[in-house]
Amino acid sequence: MNPLLKADELTRRQFVSNAARAYLGVHLFPMLGGTLAEAAPVTAAKGGTAKSVIYLYMSGGMSHVDTFDPKPKKKDVMGSTETIPTKADGVMVGHYLKKTAAVMDKVCVINSMNSTQGAHEQGSYIMHTSYNSRGTIKHPALGSWVLRLGGRIHPELPGFIAVDSAPEFTGGGFLGAKFSAALIGSPDQGLQDSHRADAVSQQDFERRLTLADKLNRQFHDRYANADVKAYEELYREAITLMNSKDLKAFDLQQEPEATRELYGKGRFAQGCLLARRLVENGVRFIEVQLGGWDTHYDNFTGVAGRCLEFDQAYAALITDLEKSGKLKDTLVVVATEFGRTPTLNAEHKDGRDHHPEAFSCLLAGGGIKGGMKYGSTDPAGNKVKDGLVSVQDFNATIAHALSLPYDTVVMSPSKRPFKIADKGVPVAALFG
Amino acid sequence: MKRSLTFAAVTVAASLGCLMAQSSWNAKPQDDLKSLKKAALQVDQYIAAFYRSKNLPVPEVTDDATFLRRAFLVSVGRIPTPEEALEFLEIQDPTKREALVEYLLKSKGFSSHMANWAFDLLRVVDGRGDFEPYRHWIRTAMANNMPWNEFTEHLISSSGDGWDPATAAVGYYTRDRGMPLDNVANTMRIFLGTRMECAQCHDDPFGTTERHDFYRLAAFTHGQGEEGREKMQTLWNELTSEKRDNNPEAQVARVIWDRVYGMSLGGGGTGQIELPTDYQYHDGKPGDVVGAHTPFGQAVLMSGKREKPKGREKLAGWIISKTGEQFPSVIANRMWKHVMGKGVYEPIDQFVPAAKSNYPELVGYIGKLIVDLGYDLRAFQHVLLLTKTFQFATNPNPSVVEGGDDFHGRKIERLSAEQIWDSLVTLAAGDPDKQPMRPLDERIYVAGQPVLVGKKSMPELSKEVLALKSEREVRAYFSKFLSEVKSDSPGNSGANSMTLMNDVRAYNKDAKIRASELPSPAPRDHFLYLFGASDREVVEASSREPNVGQVLSLMNGFVQRELVNKTSAHLYKTLDGATTEKEKVRRLYIAILSRPPSTEEMSWMLDEVKSQGDAGYRNIVSALVMSAEFLFLQ
Repeated sequence: MNPLLKADELTRRQFVSNAARAYLGVHLFPMLGGTLAEAAPVTAAKGGTAKSVIYLYMSGGMSHVDTFDPKPKKKDVMGSTETIPTKADGVMVGHYLKKTAAVMDKVCVINSMNSTQGAHEQGSYIMHTSYNSRGTIKHPALGSWVLRLGGRIHPELPGFIAVDSAPEFTGGGFLGAKFSAALIGSPDQGLQDSHRADAVSQQDFERRLTLADKLNRQFHDRYANADVKAYEELYREAITLMNSKDLKAFDLQQEPEATRELYGKGRFAQGCLLARRLVENGVRFIEVQLGGWDTHYDNFTGVAGRCLEFDQAYAALITDLEKSGKLKDTLVVVATEFGRTPTLNAEHKDGRDHHPEAFSCLLAGGGIKGGMKYGSTDPAGNKVKDGLVSVQDFNATIAHALSLPYDTVVMSPSKRPFKIADKGVPVAALFG
Repeated sequence: MKRSLTFAAVTVAASLGCLMAQSSWNAKPQDDLKSLKKAALQVDQYIAAFYRSKNLPVPEVTDDATFLRRAFLVSVGRIPTPEEALEFLEIQDPTKREALVEYLLKSKGFSSHMANWAFDLLRVVDGRGDFEPYRHWIRTAMANNMPWNEFTEHLISSSGDGWDPATAAVGYYTRDRGMPLDNVANTMRIFLGTRMECAQCHDDPFGTTERHDFYRLAAFTHGQGEEGREKMQTLWNELTSEKRDNNPEAQVARVIWDRVYGMSLGGGGTGQIELPTDYQYHDGKPGDVVGAHTPFGQAVLMSGKREKPKGREKLAGWIISKTGEQFPSVIANRMWKHVMGKGVYEPIDQFVPAAKSNYPELVGYIGKLIVDLGYDLRAFQHVLLLTKTFQFATNPNPSVVEGGDDFHGRKIERLSAEQIWDSLVTLAAGDPDKQPMRPLDERIYVAGQPVLVGKKSMPELSKEVLALKSEREVRAYFSKFLSEVKSDSPGNSGANSMTLMNDVRAYNKDAKIRASELPSPAPRDHFLYLFGASDREVVEASSREPNVGQVLSLMNGFVQRELVNKTSAHLYKTLDGATTEKEKVRRLYIAILSRPPSTEEMSWMLDEVKSQGDAGYRNIVSALVMSAEFLFLQ
């Protein structure tokens, strides 16, 4: 077992015995935060410096040639996309990404991604879990793995939060519900049910819990059972969460108007801003999704629309994290399930189809070198020419940036062995 | 309080039924209460023999209130209404437990609860693609208590029209289109308790199954596909080579391509399969064709020469009748777990031969019993519910026997997500079984809008299309259908009987209907999902694991919105006519925990009411629903 986790559990147990039965004494909790956070030893295998991950998922398959792997010499490939230079020497992007271009000195572009899955569901599944989708087991999502291997940072807030994500890809799988993402449907509204209902006064709320506590003690005295006890502890955790002064991490209203403007007002932009707030508050893994990249039909209009959502928010996120000094602690990932065909389909008003053979993803922060490109595709963007990075290698690199032991084997309840990145190996050249 | 007489009537009917059963010698065992009771006694005797052999004291039989709640939750998946609870608790009749069991097994809730079980087992989904007729077929099979062997045979061997109720079981395969090998592995697990998924990719290092065996088994189901869709291929290509998304002709064609052909199943199983390109053993080369052969039991094989492609029928026949005790034992043990909380042997999807199990006589007996009962799952559950073993007092400790139950009292267990939801619905809106089953939506949808409502239904369309014999006929039919759709008056979205259907389609997460009638799987923001309902991707994937969202939801979510703070919630009707504070508290206890409060509890609750007035009752409701006693089965 990971020593980090062990330490965490030990402290938790001590805490539980100390505070035994007192869980309704809400005022007991604020002093807890420090204890657990300090308990996590900082013994890292040599890797990156990231503590948290912001995983931005471009759902539908982001066209690599129109965004981060442009082919300026190939007019037939580029269609109406123009290529612009960026702040990083030798890194070019599509003209839809003007704000992003200005932060590319902080970003590493991987142009040599390769996936074995060419359908959305299977492709998204393997990106999120490192394994092919099977009918016989449910693999944990990347965020669940990170929690399993690295534990929580903030003891009161959930460790894995997913904003606007496809629910199928944010579950704990065989690791169980404990490692599933806490889901946020709308960044503006925060965490579901985390506030006392308006109709209930604080006094009534406390009276209800006091009554329930009396009943539960009685029940527990009659039936001393581990599962029953787990719920008692969860009430503590939930009340801690509700009373956590850091619950305001979920509240975007706390941000100055200027910052909200900086990110933009779209759903994805607000998701990015929320992610930044959560990282600042010690949430380990946040996924934010931006859908609509499936540009079979009229690719250029589609890409322009998606980039409009992406460009400002992403650039703001990187800038904001850099400015507050959090970029070295935070790995910002941009991932997608596959690229799109360099060949344009004129019959579909210049559409592009699925292209898992070669596509691009981004990494920034957390000890990843900025301003570089890794790997390349052939002149038309069809195939990986050198430095092939498999989906599993990509996920191993994320684990390595967090200094997590990516080769740790975890057995499923059915006694099958699994790893965070299957057989993937981190791309060492990306680390500074 | 107004009291219905239903239950008292059943008490009388049950004793009558018993008399009649005694006089009728020809009744099938599953319809004969006397044989069921005899079987229950037999089960108890095996358990008693076990206690004697271990020198253990026999656990006590539990009290009426615990029995009542346990019997309701286990057989109909919800708590009793206050009326039902009072009627049982207040009747003085030595046969009332038997009568209650009979009442429950006849209730509509029984099949609702079984449907949840079957949906989990078979990973039934209805949102993605179109598996509604398949879902409805299973729901109906549970409502009709279809015998398990018949049910199994339909699932494994059906071919043809996905919309025809006679063959809608083809959803068992179409649900797994693109992953037929996973489907075969699941079949072995579900029906025979044999785990073969490792052997899909390599010889099983811990067992005896080789990859070669797996492929020979898979050969029985090989060669599946849509029935006759090639007749539409050229037309489809023509229509979709133009603008893909907003071409109205393609949208109409999609109904036929996806929802008719796409939901049909052709190919009865060739009995031949190629070894995969990464085949790594000496007994074959990649690309070699191997013939179907069963891995154990009485051998069934297909030689491949002039053999009819009926592999799936052969496979079904083998599973049901040529695997000895295995097929009946696995379903008997699954039902045992469903009723008793733990399997006689566990995990329940790893078959253990009776002779090698911890309880050889019992395992042998229940396997034989389910055959004698004609694989009638309701009758089998009836036997178990009549046993003393089912009535044992609660034991909070986990089983001390590795791999199964120690029969030392009823194990304490959190309710399933569906049991909690259905119970909350009962409190919020009254007996949910008074609502109709969710109907099958047979309307034809083009681009999300129902068309030709009242003129043509999906089953009619499907039947007509699948009868077409040539590409020419398909083209002609399509032109006609297209013009029918085009000339259809829009805005006519259908009859009133579809209201429930529309609720489900529109998805209101506070809709107070049984979990079995909601979309499957439950959406992620639904109470059911939070409490661990299966996502129905993997066999029996439901979870009773606690998480913090559940507790937040109880404290601040659905429970508060729709139950505690809503004065119109059905629960509060139970207070009508109660004149004293004491009586009101008592009624709330009966409604939520199906028992009266203890003296100590009564004094706590009266204090609450005295200090808080009417708000006190809401606080009591909230506390009772948040209590471990409500969330756990005793």
